[in-house]
Amino acid sequence: MPSIDPIDHIDPITRDLWQVIAATDELPVGQIQRTTLLDVPLAMTRDSAGLPVVWRRSDEEAGDDVDPENILDRLPVTTGYGFVWTSLGTPSAALFPIPEYAEADRKNMSCGSIGIHVSAPRAVENFLDMGHFPYVHTDILGAEPHTEVKEYDVEVSEERDEVLATRCRFMQPRAAKSATHAMEVEYVYRVPHPFCSVLYKSCPEDENRRDVIAIFLQPVSEDRCRAHLLQSMIDSTSTITDLRRFQQTIFGQDKPILENQYPKRLPLDPRAETPIRADKSAIAYRRWLSQKGITYGVIPMAS
Amino acid sequence: MTLSLSDPAWYPIASSDDLPFRHVYQGQLLGRELAVWRADDGNVNVWENRCLHRGVRLSIGINEGAELKCQYHGWRYANRSAGCTYIPAHPADAPARRIQNKIYPVAEAFGLVWSAAQDSDNIERPFAPFPGAESGQWFPLRPMPVNAAPEDVLAGLATLAPDDRPADSLPGLALRLGDVVYFVQPVDAGRAVIRGLLPSTPADATQALRHYNEMLSKLRDRLERAAAKKPAPEPLAPAFDKVSADLATMPDIAIPRGNTIPVVVKRKWTSADGVIGFELAAREGHLPTFQPGAHIDVHLPNGLIRQYSITNGPGELMSYIIGVKQESASKGGSKVLVETVRQGDMLAISEPRNNFPLRRDATRTVLIAGGIGITPLLSMARFLDKSSLPYELHYFTRACEQVAFRGDLEALHGTVLIHTGLPRAEIGTTISTALGAWSQAQHVYVCGPSAMLESVRTTAAAQGWPDEAIHFEYFKNDKPIDDSSAFDVELARSAMTLHVPAGKTILEVMRDAGLTVPSSCEQGACGTCLTTVIEGEVDHQDVYLNDSEKAANTCMMTCVSRAKSARLVLDI
Amino acid sequence: MTITLHDFELSGNCYKLRLLMSILQLRYDIVPVDFFPGREHKSDAFLRLNPFGQLPVLQDGDLTLSDSGAILAYLARRYDASGQWFPDDPAVTAEVLRWHAVADDITATASAARLALGFDYPFDLEKTQAGAHRIFRIIDEHLWFGEKSGRDWLASPAHPTTADIACFPYVMLSEEGGISRQDYPALRRWTDRVRRIPGFIVMSGIFPAGPALPAA
Ligand SMILES: N[C@@H](CCC(=O)N[C@@H](CS)C(=O)NCC(=O)O)C(=O)O
Ligand code: FES
Ligand SMILES: [Fe+2]
Repeated sequence: MPSIDPIDHIDPITRDLWQVIAATDELPVGQIQRTTLLDVPLAMTRDSAGLPVVWRRSDEEAGDDVDPENILDRLPVTTGYGFVWTSLGTPSAALFPIPEYAEADRKNMSCGSIGIHVSAPRAVENFLDMGHFPYVHTDILGAEPHTEVKEYDVEVSEERDEVLATRCRFMQPRAAKSATHAMEVEYVYRVPHPFCSVLYKSCPEDENRRDVIAIFLQPVSEDRCRAHLLQSMIDSTSTITDLRRFQQTIFGQDKPILENQYPKRLPLDPRAETPIRADKSAIAYRRWLSQKGITYGVIPMAS
Repeated sequence: MTLSLSDPAWYPIASSDDLPFRHVYQGQLLGRELAVWRADDGNVNVWENRCLHRGVRLSIGINEGAELKCQYHGWRYANRSAGCTYIPAHPADAPARRIQNKIYPVAEAFGLVWSAAQDSDNIERPFAPFPGAESGQWFPLRPMPVNAAPEDVLAGLATLAPDDRPADSLPGLALRLGDVVYFVQPVDAGRAVIRGLLPSTPADATQALRHYNEMLSKLRDRLERAAAKKPAPEPLAPAFDKVSADLATMPDIAIPRGNTIPVVVKRKWTSADGVIGFELAAREGHLPTFQPGAHIDVHLPNGLIRQYSITNGPGELMSYIIGVKQESASKGGSKVLVETVRQGDMLAISEPRNNFPLRRDATRTVLIAGGIGITPLLSMARFLDKSSLPYELHYFTRACEQVAFRGDLEALHGTVLIHTGLPRAEIGTTISTALGAWSQAQHVYVCGPSAMLESVRTTAAAQGWPDEAIHFEYFKNDKPIDDSSAFDVELARSAMTLHVPAGKTILEVMRDAGLTVPSSCEQGACGTCLTTVIEGEVDHQDVYLNDSEKAANTCMMTCVSRAKSARLVLDI
Repeated sequence: MTITLHDFELSGNCYKLRLLMSILQLRYDIVPVDFFPGREHKSDAFLRLNPFGQLPVLQDGDLTLSDSGAILAYLARRYDASGQWFPDDPAVTAEVLRWHAVADDITATASAARLALGFDYPFDLEKTQAGAHRIFRIIDEHLWFGEKSGRDWLASPAHPTTADIACFPYVMLSEEGGISRQDYPALRRWTDRVRRIPGFIVMSGIFPAGPALPAA
């Protein structure tokens, strides 16, 4: 039987994207770590200069010592926002921008990489969704009776090729670790990459600035992914551990919802599910994926 | 025998005891996952285990007694119909589009709950008891899930028979061993549940249950060891139905339009002095989903159509109960109902429509009813009651004997205050006290004579209640209609252009041109003639659409509204 | 005296203690431990608290305790005036401790499967999943026969004990380890009952149950 290379099943758009695979700091130097990207088994490590090295794995075991000098057949690698990104195709030169990340007074941190049994696009859509706050993040990001999702704007920016939702507002009991009382929080959501999303929300500490939270999804297979969480916060009092705990609490609440969603791949046919006005950003996202021709992790529209 | 996804046979999917109140059971039949729940009225619901909104399993949702609440965004689905009654993200909107989850047929018999992979609206093979069922007082065993192919499980059961008394096979995946009947529930290609019935309750029930449980556990272990040696069969892959095309888009406002439904007058009674109650039941099955505040059109024997509010609580779909005012001076509407319609008569009604939606996101809800206006508010109170949301219901009548639905009001748990025979001035102060000062997330709903509506409106406004917090329903349009304009209407789907002169309505002109278009009140109050506007500026004169819907300029009532522009393009 | 819990939000073993302390209305402080991704429970400072390098650790005044089952027993003995949560009767104590041991087996199976799938732990997924199913089958049977004889809880008293608290979290989180509870209907009903205990609180991954049918 001829062996089939899993790479052949990946649509060309997805194959050429930069894909996140690890938090740079969590990758050991000179030791092997294993992961899977788009059904392709990978091995990775960091060299003595701290630079990540990534290659397609065969029988390497996690924890084995390795001399990165000996790895010749390497995949492209870049680092950004504290994470390692690679690609199974020919990636564009640069990763999408998050300019705020470079601001000197921000606390930037990874909050762990968590495996979820759902496709990456389903997880992106959950990240864009405000309607679930009172039910899934009860007493933190929302609480009954404040369940209304007010009108907001969505556009697909031609120039930056990303989905953008603005003027999103929601009543939140405890919007951030640093919040002390309920407030109406304003959000901006960006989807600058088919499997990544960045949000900007009102910052309890400084009303002129925004906290930035991003979710980078590593598509492991069509129906599994790993969520790599980034926070870039204006918060002078909380520790990194506090901030991580807050974000993990939130994500831990989304996990059982995502893992109980069917089908696991995101259906792009508008008649597969029932959208409401509050889902405008999700509709735009599904359309954008469709137009791009992404087929990995989605159920494409029957043509 | 190989399992077929389209096998329409009935199989047991749970024991009755698996379904206590306020619990959601997770089941599966022929690969299809099921959310199974018993409502407080005892009815068992068997639904596809997937919320129509974003596909989340309903088995992780909450059984609220009459509605099931999805865990992801809190959508509510009604007992019996699985129709969506509430979408919290848009609390002020009635989910008028018919969002209805997939339901499977259900029967509860012999201590078991049965279902079939059939379309519940169109059952091709009704439930039939197994041969010999009538002879027993059946007593169910502990169900035994087995990770093996259903047909292998059936064959395994047969091997339990003693040599001299082989098993009798029964239709479907069932057999009889002595006087014990065993059913194999085909969960999936490689999974099954054995459900056994003893012909009567044994003397020592616990001992008997333990005995059979041990025996079936051993069989299960044997079957699973054998199954583990074979390649695992491919799981069945049921497809999910698509939603209707109109649900796939997001219209700003919904266009209610429906067929009439035949109902039988199951009961007619005097609820109070001057108020006659009617219970209208479906001829078979249940009636459509409604939301609190909804009304139906009743088509009267003399050809008239009148609107009446549904008084029911959540998930009560076996019949609608309405209250009709006995008016001495009535011009044939209510009069016909009261005087000529009798118990047992057939009537036609419309599907429920809702111009008076109840928000469930209020911290305080005040309900004010005058006279027959109690009907929609009774329904609202019942919904709030079931969800344990706070409310105060004030009901004004002229005399004690005029208090309708008294028993139903007494069954409520919230604050219910009945004010009878108050002088006019005192009504005013009572309303004022009832409202109090407004604060965030408080809402008032009024239904009653127009004087009362006005009084509540002005008092509330004076006490700081914003317009969005004051809700009332018009059954009448008292505003003078200005029909002096003249313009053209282009009917996009009918490909014709008509001229509407001054003094004629769009509706009349369309009918003159031979089109059949639905209408009812013809005063811009009921919503029947709602039409989508493709182009042109509408001169709204109805009381059906709210201000933002009017401003959106995407639809209009053709019975009273006209054009500000020279030309309108309608989706007709 | 103040109680301090060294805690990780996503840990079911830590949650057992938050849950009992909420039910008993005890006040306590939380010291968050960066279990993931920081592996702070293997840091020198933490190992000085608990050489086994495991969460949870609870300090009550000068006392430092570890192991969730042991701490449940301690808290109940010390602070539960009703004496119900960890009953004194020797036979019932033994029964409850038996279930604490089952709870450890659930940690070794269902929780390990969850760590493997969600947190990249190198555990044998198939083995841990199969182990969890074996345990769940037995608990489901125990609870099913319990319902038939009027027993609602894991141990024999007519009220819940720490046995229920110790077993609850990783049963409830099992789906994160790819372990469905569809085949265990009595176990699913028991999780509704636990979630309706007065004072119940949730953790991430566990949703509350709705209210029970009000008694007529
Ligand atoms: N029997 C212990 C088990 C505790 C346990 O497994 N803790 C986990 C966190 S939930 C832990 O710290 N694991 C790290 C390790 O075992 O190295 C208890 O119940 O407390
Ligand atoms: S998925 Fe059920 S309410 Fe949204
Ligand atoms: Fe979320």
